[in-house]
Amino acid sequence: MPEEKSPLGKPRADPVSLASGKPHLVRLSLFGFGLSELGILGSAIVGIILFVIISTIGGIENLQDFWLLIASGFIFGVGSIFIYYINRKNGQLASLLFLTFLTVAMAFSDSPNQVADGRTLFVFAIPIAISSLLLRPVSSFIFAALSSVIITVLALNIQIVPNIVAIVGFFMLALVSWLSARSLEQALQDLRQINAELDRRVEDRTRELSESLARELVEAGKNQAILEGIADGVIVLDTKGKSIVANPALSRLLDVPSANLMNKTMEEILQAGKISSPDRQTTLTMLREPHKDKPSIRFRWGERTLLVNAAPVSTGLGDVIGTVAVFRDFTHEAEVEQMKNTFVAMVSHELRTPLNAILGFAEMIREAVYGPITARQAGVMERIENSSRRLLSLVSDLLDQAQIEAGRMKIHIAEFQVSDLMDSLRVALDKQAAEKGLTLTTKIEPGMPSVALGDFNRLQQILLNLGGNAVKFTESGGVTVRIYRVDERYWGFDVTDTGPGISAEARGYIFESFRQVEDVVIREHGGIGLGLAIVKSLVELMGGQILLASEVGKGATFTVTFPFEPSKEKTK
Amino acid sequence: MNESLALIVEDDADLNEVFRQALAAAGFATESVYDGRTALEFLEKIAPSIVILDLHLPFVSGETILKKIHSTPSLENVRVVITTADAAAAEFLRDQADLVLVKPISYIQLRDLTKRLNPVLQTDKFKTTPRAE
Repeated sequence: MPEEKSPLGKPRADPVSLASGKPHLVRLSLFGFGLSELGILGSAIVGIILFVIISTIGGIENLQDFWLLIASGFIFGVGSIFIYYINRKNGQLASLLFLTFLTVAMAFSDSPNQVADGRTLFVFAIPIAISSLLLRPVSSFIFAALSSVIITVLALNIQIVPNIVAIVGFFMLALVSWLSARSLEQALQDLRQINAELDRRVEDRTRELSESLARELVEAGKNQAILEGIADGVIVLDTKGKSIVANPALSRLLDVPSANLMNKTMEEILQAGKISSPDRQTTLTMLREPHKDKPSIRFRWGERTLLVNAAPVSTGLGDVIGTVAVFRDFTHEAEVEQMKNTFVAMVSHELRTPLNAILGFAEMIREAVYGPITARQAGVMERIENSSRRLLSLVSDLLDQAQIEAGRMKIHIAEFQVSDLMDSLRVALDKQAAEKGLTLTTKIEPGMPSVALGDFNRLQQILLNLGGNAVKFTESGGVTVRIYRVDERYWGFDVTDTGPGISAEARGYIFESFRQVEDVVIREHGGIGLGLAIVKSLVELMGGQILLASEVGKGATFTVTFPFEPSKEKTK
Repeated sequence: MNESLALIVEDDADLNEVFRQALAAAGFATESVYDGRTALEFLEKIAPSIVILDLHLPFVSGETILKKIHSTPSLENVRVVITTADAAAAEFLRDQADLVLVKPISYIQLRDLTKRLNPVLQTDKFKTTPRAE
């Protein structure tokens, strides 16, 4: 385990290796000099030299003593080296041999008398005490026994009574050593356990950390891959409006190298000159005020038609940290739409001619161009005419809608007589209103100039549509149309009826294409729900505004306002 | 000859017939043609009092015929009534014709309006442009 590399790749710190370290090193460092292996070797050599010097000073009486000295020094040295090498392999065995060697050697360290029952008796205490630390706590008893045997044998050998008190003393010491070593052992074991626990925790944490790092890398890689694989162009702007993320699809869509999309503002990116100035302005405005519920903006970018929408990027705490904008290639869809509108316009146009013929022949029969007819036949002819007219107006609506959508609806601003506008309304609606028993009140307020600027045909269409609707949906009461000056810059007209009113819900969608308030209404009143959508488009094309005020059961008022000075020719 | 001649230029045969009947009822002698080329050929030989002119025509467009009428001295007094389905185009040509009618065109309406343009019945030049519905 100490050699094991941590997942972080750094070598393990020292305290950790001590905790689970080699037992023999810890063991021997507790002994004697507390030195390293080299220290032990060194002290053994120093010991030999000191032994020889002291013995020499003590005086060598004969040659036998000299050889004994040399031999014992030699045995001491070899023993020390031997134990040193064993210690490298097995600390327990080395300690056992060392202590045994020490105990036995002590028997010869003094005269047998002194060893068995004199001043040298205490030296046996050393291995007894140390053994419980170096070996097992209980091993102090073995050395107590060994020491007892040695002094008993020596005593019997020199024919004295063995020192029973010393033997009991040895065992008492062994008991104390055993107890203290045991608690020391326990403490060490606890320490080791704590260290091991600590080690395990560090390891767990390290593993968790590296796993979560790896996971995060995988996640980030995945997100990156998604961003790069997505067909839509994605750009993320920071709070200062500079781009911090832009995917390859955006670079493809805009035909701008990826490098030119980073750390740039949208103004700089859209500078490329492939976009018209109004489109550029609306796009920039959208990006400045991003809102995810805002409808997408469509704009031409060179050959392409692109769709863009933007949303704020906010943290979980609700702080806005930037804007994300998604660009989509809408070229194909725009082409299809264009084709559809062209088709509708063409079909509408082609439908008008035969319908006009039907209308004309019906009129001629009714006018007795082809000979006299009865009153009933004339009535039928009138029905044919009315149905043809209705069909024609539907076709006209479709054509208008298609032209507005295709952006081909042209507005022609010219001077017109305001009274003409009102007259044309009366001509168209007087009869209808009278038939339903409704009053039709028209008023040009004082202050309204008699001549105004606008597209007369379109204004007439708007007024007729609103007035026609009012008559159509009102069952009793009347319809009031007022033309007036709003202020210095605007004029407008109100169409007020006493009809059933329009619910709040319906007010929300009434200006959308193909919507009528309820299905029932279609069956009762005809029409395909294009009228108000066209009216709104026309009003806006002329720079005007349309508003609706209504309460269910209390009728409705449509208010349309236009500037006195419309821009000369406005094309959607 | 105390009858004025009306040339009806309209490619749809049925509608052409409706227009022809309206002009006949308005007191004109009528001649129908169904494409722009025939209309031009006709105008080179005869100057009618009135031309009912559709703008969308095969071969030669109504605009071309209109230019031809305006640039030919012998056709100076020809009254022109433009008929078109395109309201925008109608607006554009308002100054270049005596009358611009947007389709659908009612038989009665055409009859009554052209009656006023008939030089035999009325001599005043009809200046203002009443609008079709």
